[in-house]
Amino acid sequence: MVNTDPRPVRKILIVGGGTAGWITAGVLASRYPRRGEDGISITLIESRLQPPIGVGEGTWPTMRATLKQIGVTETDFLRECDASFKQGSQFVRWVDGGDSDAYYHPFTLPVGYEERNLAPYWLEDPRGQSFAVSMCFQTEACSRALAPKQITTPEFTGLANYAYHLDAGKFGPFLRQHCIDKLGVDHIYDEIVRIEGTDGGDIAHVVTKSGESLAADLFIDCSGFSALLIGKHFGVPFLSKKDVLFIDKAWAVQVPYRADDAAIGSVTLATAQSAGWVWDIGLTTRRGVGYVFSSGHMPEEGALEELKRYLGARGDLSPDLSFRKIDVNSGYRQEFWTRNCVAVGLSAGFLEPLEASAIVMIELSAKSIANLLPGCRGGMREAARLFNDTYRYRWERIIDFLKLHYALSRRTDSRFWIDNRARESIPSSLRDYLEFWRDHCPWHEDFAHREEVFSAASYQYILYGMGFQTHCASWLLNDRDRSLAREKMNETAHYGRALTASLPSNRELLSKVGRYGLQKI
Amino acid sequence: MVNRVVLNNQIHRDVRIAATRPTRENAAVNAVTVIPREFPRLLAHYPIFYTKNTETGRFEPSALLGFQPQENLFFVEGRWDAAYVPLQIQRLPFSLMTRRVNESEGKPTLDVALDLSQTVQSPEGQRLFLEDGQPTKFLQDITSMLSALVAGANETYAFTGRLAELNLIEPVQIDIEFVNGSETKLQGLYWIAAAALKALPAAQLAELRDREFLEWMYFQMASIAHVSALVARKNRQLSGVTAARA
Repeated sequence: MVNTDPRPVRKILIVGGGTAGWITAGVLASRYPRRGEDGISITLIESRLQPPIGVGEGTWPTMRATLKQIGVTETDFLRECDASFKQGSQFVRWVDGGDSDAYYHPFTLPVGYEERNLAPYWLEDPRGQSFAVSMCFQTEACSRALAPKQITTPEFTGLANYAYHLDAGKFGPFLRQHCIDKLGVDHIYDEIVRIEGTDGGDIAHVVTKSGESLAADLFIDCSGFSALLIGKHFGVPFLSKKDVLFIDKAWAVQVPYRADDAAIGSVTLATAQSAGWVWDIGLTTRRGVGYVFSSGHMPEEGALEELKRYLGARGDLSPDLSFRKIDVNSGYRQEFWTRNCVAVGLSAGFLEPLEASAIVMIELSAKSIANLLPGCRGGMREAARLFNDTYRYRWERIIDFLKLHYALSRRTDSRFWIDNRARESIPSSLRDYLEFWRDHCPWHEDFAHREEVFSAASYQYILYGMGFQTHCASWLLNDRDRSLAREKMNETAHYGRALTASLPSNRELLSKVGRYGLQKI
Repeated sequence: MVNRVVLNNQIHRDVRIAATRPTRENAAVNAVTVIPREFPRLLAHYPIFYTKNTETGRFEPSALLGFQPQENLFFVEGRWDAAYVPLQIQRLPFSLMTRRVNESEGKPTLDVALDLSQTVQSPEGQRLFLEDGQPTKFLQDITSMLSALVAGANETYAFTGRLAELNLIEPVQIDIEFVNGSETKLQGLYWIAAAALKALPAAQLAELRDREFLEWMYFQMASIAHVSALVARKNRQLSGVTAARA
């Protein structure tokens, strides 16, 4: 067979130097290390005029593999990005809004998950314990703000599964330094003023303010909300999902710790409010707090007052705090990869920060581009088709998963929560799942892809954390699995106690990492 | 309970430390941190590995003394059964205590301290101070031992830190079967990654040589041969044979 277009794909231009741009550069450059005449070139152009969004951000455990692949040390990363260890999320007041309403979504899989689905047996006899406590030893460590490891544990490994909270404003520059110094990524500070196409419809080159013309075989649009290439140039429509996820605004604030030894939480704390929820993330140097809300359900000033009440109740309100307003436009592109241009990051799509899907989608996209990267221009069309199919699926699944948190709420105290349960606001795919899970506990086969962003384990934590009832048919249960479940739950309790006794606090370990670093082995 | 007090030539003028050191309590460890300057003398008896300091995660060389927690196969019938006792054991029950001076006055000073809870006194024992308040030869020896340990710790971390940077340290797991059929796995031990050392570029090899690190590495690598001697000690104990005096 003759390749339809044998021109090599060897020059990659990444447009935009935020988290998306630098993760993509790092993943591609570490995966394809050959530069120069017999390799590929990777250039990143970023504007000095666009400040990064810069709020504390949550990641998924995938970040450990990503950082390792890019080739940075965990010690440098933790020190330079003010990063802390994250072991999961805690959802407060999401179910009925009462004082004791709180549950965990830890990163470690439910016990026995590798072998069997034991959720039915917890449902049958929870023994007075929540799903997360019964089925996951990590929950105890989460509730005590402990670290997921000890100072003697090698870098990127944990005694429990973990990710990070990081300062996104520092993460980009940290990766930039590494990409330029160690991975041979070329870097340009300039503004793009014009994009010029070929007759065939590809992008030929971009022209910069300083008059330079940058040609490439593949353009990666990491230009954020402005979506210079995928949006402004190609005009690929943005599909709004505001009818499903109502949140469209945020107030963000940086809160200092009140004492040098104040605890650093090891979960993202998500506290439901009357028109959305407040995120609360502990970095090593400060907390990042913000209220994401639906402006259709509450005016901006009202939301600011509610955020201030949240801070006030914890003694964190002070006149020095500066509150910043951010627009949240939930949705994604109809296509992510079109012609010789692929979008990664905010230009591809954005959802409210619930369950921290933004950075993990960047990591996954960068990895997919590296995996699909065609040798010649002729392969680009198929790479684009595969990428688009996968990512449409992934955005839809994430939307389902986020909506799940609202659809299962029983709060009736405001329109926001009531409207969130309106049938027409719930995607039919999620409605079908919820119907299916009435007598079947979520399991691997329920999902189409090998690598789901949110696996059956995540669904189990949310469903059973929120009191969803699955009535498993008695004829599908058996004594062998029942006793296995008992055994595993007992082990979980013992191991959880032993582990928490041996783990330092998040703060203690992070300050030790600051002083001594973590060993590679 | 640890009861550490800073030595004082008035208060401790009449203290006499019994010759029976280390005590059974002091000796109840299965590994002890050692410093590179001891390697030549340790090499006659002990297998030396690298272990991680539980407080800092940093690597430090340790002499292996036993296979179970608190099992010290070198402590037999109330005495140390080897010609050379690691400094970290020899110094007991003395230690150095940091005296926090004014932050602005720079380096904190170190005082010699004595753990009274671990001290056996005896009328025939060693005196710490002479009549005029000057330290005795015994105390002077202790002091220089403690100084050597402080200097040794700095050398240790420069040494192991560089080895770790060069990926020259790797974990090792040793499976042992004793004469009675029982088995044990030694974990948490590290040694020199021989393959990485072999492949080390000449410039880095020269650096290791110039800093004495290469010499220390070879001492440590050679000491591994004593693992089998340690197993033999354990086997003798298991079969009820009194250990031969070293």
